[in-house]
Amino acid sequence: MKSRMSITILLVISGLVCIPLATPGPAQAGAPTELVMVDSQSGANFQAYWQKYVIPAVKQSLGVNLKYLVSSDAEQIQKVKAWKPGLGDAHILFPKSIASWVKSGVPLETLNTSNIPNSAKIDPQYLKTDEGVELQSKAVLYWRTSYALIYNSQYIKNPPKSWKEFYNRRAEFKDHIGLIRPDAKSSAAWRQRLTFLHGFLREKMAMPMAQLEKDPAFQDAWNKLKDFTKYAKAPLPAEPPNLFEDFNAGETWIALYAQDYSLWSARQGTMPPTIKAVYPEEGADEIGTGYLAVFDNIPPEYKEVALKVVNYLLSDDQQIRLLTTMWQYPGTDITDQAPAIAWEMVPKLDVLTKTAIPRERIQKDIIDYIKGHAKELLP
Amino acid sequence: MTAFWRRHSTGLITFLLLLPALAGFFGLFFYPMFLTVILSFRPEGQTVGWTLENYTMFLSDPDGRWVIYLTFILALGCTAFSVLLSVPLSLILREKVRGHRFYRLMVLIPLVVPGLIGALGLLLFWGSRGWFNLFLTQLVPFVQRPVRMNYTLHGLILFYVWLYFPYTCVTTLSTLESLDQSIEEAGAVSGANRWQVLRHIVLPLITPGILAGSVLTFMAAFGAFSVPLIAGGDYRPLAVEIYKQIAVPIPARWSAASAIAIIMGLLQVAFLVLYMRFVRRTGGAGGGGQ
Repeated sequence: MKSRMSITILLVISGLVCIPLATPGPAQAGAPTELVMVDSQSGANFQAYWQKYVIPAVKQSLGVNLKYLVSSDAEQIQKVKAWKPGLGDAHILFPKSIASWVKSGVPLETLNTSNIPNSAKIDPQYLKTDEGVELQSKAVLYWRTSYALIYNSQYIKNPPKSWKEFYNRRAEFKDHIGLIRPDAKSSAAWRQRLTFLHGFLREKMAMPMAQLEKDPAFQDAWNKLKDFTKYAKAPLPAEPPNLFEDFNAGETWIALYAQDYSLWSARQGTMPPTIKAVYPEEGADEIGTGYLAVFDNIPPEYKEVALKVVNYLLSDDQQIRLLTTMWQYPGTDITDQAPAIAWEMVPKLDVLTKTAIPRERIQKDIIDYIKGHAKELLP
Repeated sequence: MTAFWRRHSTGLITFLLLLPALAGFFGLFFYPMFLTVILSFRPEGQTVGWTLENYTMFLSDPDGRWVIYLTFILALGCTAFSVLLSVPLSLILREKVRGHRFYRLMVLIPLVVPGLIGALGLLLFWGSRGWFNLFLTQLVPFVQRPVRMNYTLHGLILFYVWLYFPYTCVTTLSTLESLDQSIEEAGAVSGANRWQVLRHIVLPLITPGILAGSVLTFMAAFGAFSVPLIAGGDYRPLAVEIYKQIAVPIPARWSAASAIAIIMGLLQVAFLVLYMRFVRRTGGAGGGGQ
């Protein structure tokens, strides 16, 4: 009996001793050296890029170890809402939709040239709004990405030059058009539809959704989109890896997709080497955006380091690396510093911006409308 | 104090030793489950108020009901084929054929490969330019066109079987190996041929193992997520439907997702109860077949 009692007491004491040891202690004196970065924006290519290039560079240059966490906006917004003031345990945010974050009312730190000096090199229009939502200085632009009609030149010798032409020639590509499921997690799910609609609606896309929905031109474009869906390769790919596999299998010949990801995938061997891109002439490609933000509800000493890290990520060295390593356009205006070889792979940004959908026509309301009506867009 | 300790020591010690496990169980299972139940009755996006709308919306929607049927079709199909595959495979492996250790290891491979990786591998293998179709179209006469497996219902069931049949196979094999072979010998001595021994002696005796394994396969298949997400095409069962409610709309539809999760949990429990009753009736659980 005595030995059982001793063992029990020993177990309880061990537990009591171990609990405080396992609990994180108070912040040590000096600046924190470990931050958590939440990424809901990057695809597989950039998840690898962060871990292979960016995080080691941050460690080397700033002595900060970035704990990289892949998440989703919805999940993370829910978590952040539960934080007690000043006790947030994630620090830097790279969201899929900064507009959703700002609209959700989750507190984000105000970013400007005084705390992020490198943000002075960002075109102010990108700092003002995204997806039609006022950003209220809550984020800085990290990258711009280009979407294009990616096609397999093995099957398509004369690709369509615009969405209208693509729609008119849809029978030619029947069962070989790559449309990601409209209820997929990937942003390509709504981007593909949004750019299609823009091809027919142009400046009308800047109208408020409630008004646009009633417009006969919108109804016509929406019906065209539904009809176009019937010509897509069925079943629609669930996520981008399925789209790539369909390209590899020769079942999909053409799709609107991110240029950088497609080039990266071709290099990795997950897309056919005969892949080429075309930029529809009617403004049917889109400049996608990726923003960085810093959570407000975190300890001040962490916030200070987080701001330094964000500023570092906007440094010329890091921004040029985006282009030279990943063919992704930088968020800051430093394209004149990029090596000429970069432009052999991708067109210069000013070439793209001429044909890009004007930013005021990419409204969050339209994106939500597409997501909300996903069922109608399944063949 | 000493008298108190003497009287209650066993109970206290048991309680103290169980405390970490109980705390873990309540913290990791009951509390999240309780929150999910509460959330499923909240109006979408609200923290107060009660509604049944999340349940009625899903259950009254024909698509919602189809998702439930589909989940059962996939889980039952997978379970049936797993049993059909596991029994002969176990009988072969029991004979300790040449390389049987390697084959036993291979049976376990699907359990250690992450579902997502497995799904992508299967898509590549069964794709129109995958090895399976290359073999068919290039080496088998009369096969001109690739056989369509990816994104079809039968293909998805096949993928499920690959991923979840080891549960059935392992339990069937272990039951088979624990079987006293002298019983089979007695049957043979009494004049039964191999088929009769199998039909009237071996199969009834290993039924408890098959049933126990098949229930594990069914449960795993019912909750499958990665495989139907990546390889399901238009066939998206309950787990994917729950994920869709959270991952696609912003703000996420947490209440709708919670309601579907509760429906899924209740269906699983209901099926499990019926299944266990069936197992008991057939004498499986108690080994009554012996």
